Amino acid sequence: MDKRMSIDDVIDRIPDSATIAIGGSSISRKPMALVRALARSDKRDLTVIVDVGGPDVDLLLGTGRVKRIIYAFVGFEVLGLAPHFRRARQEATAEFQEWTEYTVMAGLDATIKRVPFMPTHATLGTDVLAVNPAFKEIRDPFGQEPLVAVPALAPDVALIHVNYADVQGNGVILGDGHVDVLCAKAAKATYMSCERILSSEELQRFGRDVQILRVYSKGVVEVPWGAHPTGCAPDYRTDLRHLQEYLKAAQSEDGWRRYETEFVQVDHRQYLENHGGPEELVSRLKV
Amino acid sequence: MPLAPEFNVDEVIITAMARQLHGEVLVSSVTAFGSLAAHLAKRRYAPDLAVLSTPESGMDVTPMPTLTLGQFLTDVQQGIPLTMEDIFDAIFTDRFRIWINPSQIDQYGNTNITCIGDWHRPKVALVGSRGIPEDTSHLSETFYYILNHSLRSVVARVDFRSGAGNGDSRQLLGRHGAPTVLVTDLGVFTFDGPGGQMAIQSLHPGVALDEVRARTGFELYVPPGPIRETEPPSDEDIRIIRDADPLEVRKLELMSGPLAAEKFVAIYERERQTFHATYPRVGKLGR
Repeated sequence: MDKRMSIDDVIDRIPDSATIAIGGSSISRKPMALVRALARSDKRDLTVIVDVGGPDVDLLLGTGRVKRIIYAFVGFEVLGLAPHFRRARQEATAEFQEWTEYTVMAGLDATIKRVPFMPTHATLGTDVLAVNPAFKEIRDPFGQEPLVAVPALAPDVALIHVNYADVQGNGVILGDGHVDVLCAKAAKATYMSCERILSSEELQRFGRDVQILRVYSKGVVEVPWGAHPTGCAPDYRTDLRHLQEYLKAAQSEDGWRRYETEFVQVDHRQYLENHGGPEELVSRLKV
Repeated sequence: MPLAPEFNVDEVIITAMARQLHGEVLVSSVTAFGSLAAHLAKRRYAPDLAVLSTPESGMDVTPMPTLTLGQFLTDVQQGIPLTMEDIFDAIFTDRFRIWINPSQIDQYGNTNITCIGDWHRPKVALVGSRGIPEDTSHLSETFYYILNHSLRSVVARVDFRSGAGNGDSRQLLGRHGAPTVLVTDLGVFTFDGPGGQMAIQSLHPGVALDEVRARTGFELYVPPGPIRETEPPSDEDIRIIRDADPLEVRKLELMSGPLAAEKFVAIYERERQTFHATYPRVGKLGR
């Protein structure tokens, strides 16, 4: 089946109040073209699940699309804190549930395995257990050991970005895989953007790097630079200069409005043009 | 900081960190200090370490601290790729070590990277617990470093326990995940004091006990007998550190303000060139 579609087609398939799992990790291989389209849409009351979030979560909070965030981490790594996330946390303008890196994976895995929860020792002895109402302390039914029950996380939609895909929805990830496979398997519908669409014959040459299996994907969008400003190794590195601009813009209302006009309220082609076009990006970001 | 002129404080810290690592375990590279400590340890003290080039992948490559090129390093050196499942399985089976750089650590070794103030309405929202709860419930050794030992970072009680220390935090946990060592710009500290409290193991050359007391937010346990001096880095240690970090990314972690911003941009603009000079282009795209 040919599953090619446009960015807008993907957004049309996401209902209000949907729960969306986003792949990638902080400033690496985030499906940013899809996230930007979501940010400029009129969707409301979304729940976002991320293991390690970055500009994806921050942008969706900055444009008011999100009601609830489930996360282990949200930050800009070497560049510091995520400005809208920080503000929203401090002013409690959205609902936040602090999970941890493995427990987000375990929650997705529980959905995949069709069980209500997964047990772990992680978060015992920490305040995460105290502030996260989703977790429950339990006893091992065989012994008496204390454990934490991590409930299943069931996303309606997963959004991921990969290096290559074929029209059937198989996807190749060449750099670090992060939690994209778990997101893709756990979601009811997975939409994948890719740097380039290859023939299925070409794609199969990548062997074990074909990590996203077509039985899990509902849609494929060819979007070169679709992870920008996050990196997509080995195609391009993270655009730290742009992320610095983002951080600066987020400091004031005026700055943020200008940023939105230039980089969010525009389609992907215009977005690239506003960066000086693909040639300019190649010179700055190809390695 | 009155250190002898032939070595710098970053080299004292990295060498002290390197000397803690041993055995055949994965060592993650999340920060420049952590990756240089792992690299130095492998070269000088613990040849069986399996050093990673990114937080989750690239086993058995020579790490080079950069801002954006971690995954590219894996690629050009054809490092062994790992998955997030591999990482957490290694944590749960105690085959993993990491140097964690918390915002706060307290006298029992509880650590915080989540928030300053109350979690529900934080004064400063930081990033979220990430994988620290997993580390502090499973690893037989947990390592921490802090580059600015101060009343704000080494505190009586953390504002939020992202990671479980000793004392109350151990009630539901066994010994696994308990804090092992803290290295700061002033000294090396263990958690062998009464009730698992922080205790001085050694102070760096030129550091006085009074200074440490003045910059610590609680009464620090001083074991009986003379206070040892941290063994300074040897010429060989220093050479290995400087060779492995030609861009001096490690210095960024010690800097702030405009100076840091300037250095940051300089590294970002230069790092591709340094990377290509060091590693010829092979890997998945260039092969």
